[in-house]
Amino acid sequence: MEANHQTAGGTETVSVSFLLNGEHIQLNVSPVMRAVDLIRGELDQTGTKISCGIGRCGACSILVNGKLAVSCLLLAYQLEGASVITIEGLSDQDEVHPIQKAFLEEGGFQCGYCTPGMVMAAKCLLDSNPEPDRQAIQEALSGNLCRCTGYGGIIRSVQCASSK
Amino acid sequence: MAKKIRPDGKEKVTGRLKYLTDLAFSNMLYGKILRSPYPHARILSISTDKARQLPGVQAVITHKDVPGLNGFGIVTPDQPVLCKDIVRYVGDAVAAVAADSVETATRALELIHVQYAPLPVLDSPEKALEEGAPLLHPNGNVLHRAGFQKGDIESEFAKCAAIVEETYHVPRQLHAYMETEGGVIVPEKDGSLTVYVGTQHGFKDRFQLARILGMPEEHIRVVSSPMGGSFGGKDELNIQPYGALLALSTGKPVKIHQTRQESIRSSIKRHPMKITMKTGIDQDGRLRAHQTTIVADTGAYATLGPAILDFAVEHTSGPYMIPAVDTKGISVFTNNGVSGEFRGFGGNQVTFALEGQIDRLAAAIGMDSVEMRRLNIRREHDLGPLGQQIAETNGALDVLQSAAAVYAEKKPSSQNQDRWKRTGTGMAITMHGGGLGFGRMDPAGGRLSLKEDGKIEISFGFEEAGQGILAVIETITTEQLGCAKEDISIMIGDTSLVPSSGSTTASRGTSMVWHSLQRLKKPFLQKLLTRAARKTGTKEGQLSIGPGGIWENGECRLSFRELASEQAPIVISTQFDFPVSPDPIDSAHFLYTYSGVVAQVEVDLLTGRINVTELHQSLSAGPVVNEMGYLGQIEGGGVMALGYTLMEDVIMADGHYVTENLDSYLIPGIKDVPFNLQVKAVESLPAEDDYGPRGVGEIGTIAVAPAIANAIYDAVGLRVSQLPVKPETVLKSTEERGVLHGSQSSNSGGN
Ligand code: FES
Ligand code: FES
Repeated sequence: MEANHQTAGGTETVSVSFLLNGEHIQLNVSPVMRAVDLIRGELDQTGTKISCGIGRCGACSILVNGKLAVSCLLLAYQLEGASVITIEGLSDQDEVHPIQKAFLEEGGFQCGYCTPGMVMAAKCLLDSNPEPDRQAIQEALSGNLCRCTGYGGIIRSVQCASSK
Repeated sequence: MAKKIRPDGKEKVTGRLKYLTDLAFSNMLYGKILRSPYPHARILSISTDKARQLPGVQAVITHKDVPGLNGFGIVTPDQPVLCKDIVRYVGDAVAAVAADSVETATRALELIHVQYAPLPVLDSPEKALEEGAPLLHPNGNVLHRAGFQKGDIESEFAKCAAIVEETYHVPRQLHAYMETEGGVIVPEKDGSLTVYVGTQHGFKDRFQLARILGMPEEHIRVVSSPMGGSFGGKDELNIQPYGALLALSTGKPVKIHQTRQESIRSSIKRHPMKITMKTGIDQDGRLRAHQTTIVADTGAYATLGPAILDFAVEHTSGPYMIPAVDTKGISVFTNNGVSGEFRGFGGNQVTFALEGQIDRLAAAIGMDSVEMRRLNIRREHDLGPLGQQIAETNGALDVLQSAAAVYAEKKPSSQNQDRWKRTGTGMAITMHGGGLGFGRMDPAGGRLSLKEDGKIEISFGFEEAGQGILAVIETITTEQLGCAKEDISIMIGDTSLVPSSGSTTASRGTSMVWHSLQRLKKPFLQKLLTRAARKTGTKEGQLSIGPGGIWENGECRLSFRELASEQAPIVISTQFDFPVSPDPIDSAHFLYTYSGVVAQVEVDLLTGRINVTELHQSLSAGPVVNEMGYLGQIEGGGVMALGYTLMEDVIMADGHYVTENLDSYLIPGIKDVPFNLQVKAVESLPAEDDYGPRGVGEIGTIAVAPAIANAIYDAVGLRVSQLPVKPETVLKSTEERGVLHGSQSSNSGGN
């Protein structure tokens, strides 16, 4: 964390700089601002979702230095110096990531609201364990809730992505 | 074979799809709603001065600021938008604020001073029905009574060899859509209003908002799609009125996105019910008499409470033919939140009770429960449960046969290797009505156009909440017209651009899309071909529609773009009603779907924990439109019902929520569900059936609870009568009967 600043309104802010999907970000934020609000609000990267706000559903999952994190429990300033990957960083305009392709083909989503978080959790799993068994899949996705699919399609998607 | 990918898929998996709660506009303000801290109180005074003075606050509104009707409700507008004298539940709104930031709006709420005089809290239907109980509404505390009688119940009971009577309790379930309620309401320069908020019936929201705002409907545009889940929960208005009032009073876009706590506090839930069933069977295994009373806790306001009770009454005897039926239901106002529409619509509750009765009765006369079901099941030509003619199918027997085969295969594997665990297998079946029912306005419609740019636009007033209506529209439209998916564009969920199609509820979407296309296709194709014939100078009879355009002799002669160019668009619309029974029986359904469920559980005798290891669903709902969508609806519905059976209960104490977020209200996670969910579609329909595919949005949630309950009995001899089934209940029951010590075999206990 760097120097403290005062905004016009008299509220204290802190400066934070980090890499978001490879792009350098530097800005002043309120010390109590959550990472999820910075990402969704200030930075308008709305692929990251918000649902419970207390770390229980995984809708806001992002990768911070390669590790899965719930951005509703992180403060924005805690991203200082980190490399952050959100769902937007997984694919470019034309090409979807193989995990995303698997979700598309195996019906790993319905409303899609849990999907960005789910895909990030799946990526985190497959990065470290390219051929996860049933238990590993359950373990890795246990922090991500989905109300629509019953997880059947999600499991098939991860299995499909892992065999590739 | 290339997999069929949903039209909204790519945007969803890449995170690029903008949900309505993701939208931002310049100059946008943030709204917050002040809700009552009391479940029942009189409002003595409201002071907003301090809140108004807080820098950054741009508007504070109360009941004084509602220009039109200060009330909402899909059928009866008995819920105040902003309460004036009385609050009736802890979600009742008293004031709302728009400010520069969420933080300022939140702080402003704390500065609004409301004086309340608490009133006695009616926290159960029993209390609300007591003599002398305070009246929550002018007509008293009974929202609705419904019933159905046929045959001579007493004389049929007299013929019975066994009678089982049981009272079943089912909990208050949270929809738990992952996207909480929200969106942005934008005042436009011309004085109109655009409401970007998810709902299941944009036109109905527009109607309700117009009434509240005192504004013509045409001045309101509702953009209602996409949504991050709804399951019935967003059909009623939620934050729209507050956003709209604040936007009008500030002249700026106002965003409201409820936090999960705010959502749980204010949203509707599934009706808790107490269901008492007394059912008799003769010595041959024939059901003779079935008597039911249903008491539903409908909470503080009406919303769809009456229709849900009617639905429950209709489904009380399920797919069985019983000579004497006597059903009485009552839906009672209380101060326990608000109960309303939820996937299954009252069918889930009564099916749990009914299928519990069936297993108990089979045991009571020592008959195989599958055999007993077969003996009593409805046949193709039988009348519906209210004595109405229904679309004839053999669905009930089809799903029973299918489930029975699975059951026969799974049942013998009920031996558990682990001495501290027991395995059990159970089954249940059901039938479920689609559409709103006889006597309820249930209009549908759609529009096909060839646009100037050569796209064939298909539009409906439906919303995409995740259920896959876009994929259904794409599949049915391309199949019926013979064109490719690249040739069409789909328009839904925007009252300024689409025709009214009725609500996106009651498993009616798929049906209505198919029925619309049946009506639209012929005149539309005719117009296309006539124009093509003129343009190409070929006889109409030699032309046909194909991928990309108009075909002749196996070749594409004219692209849709060429066909469209320099001419007025071709537009064909249709309006019709959801098919109903020819018999004028109020609320009776005509199109039914059927399911048969087999569940296998493993019960840990030491912890009481129940693990569902297998869940098989067989469905009869006509042809499958989109395989992946169908599978997803049934799997997802099944798991939602698994949660209902074993985990979920929005607990309230004295009218206050005890479960406030997803840490105390648990929904199934990936570890709670069987790794392999099985879905089998029995697609056959009678040759003369011309009602096409039925929707499957609800049917996958209905018969799961009783199948699991029956499996629990099979495993440890506990007769389940209350949901969710808690480990403590299992332990208490197994301890009492000495199951752990093997003093009694697990299946002989029970009643
Ligand atoms: S919103 Fe962050 S875990 Fe639920
Ligand atoms: S797809 Fe809707 S919550 Fe997972």
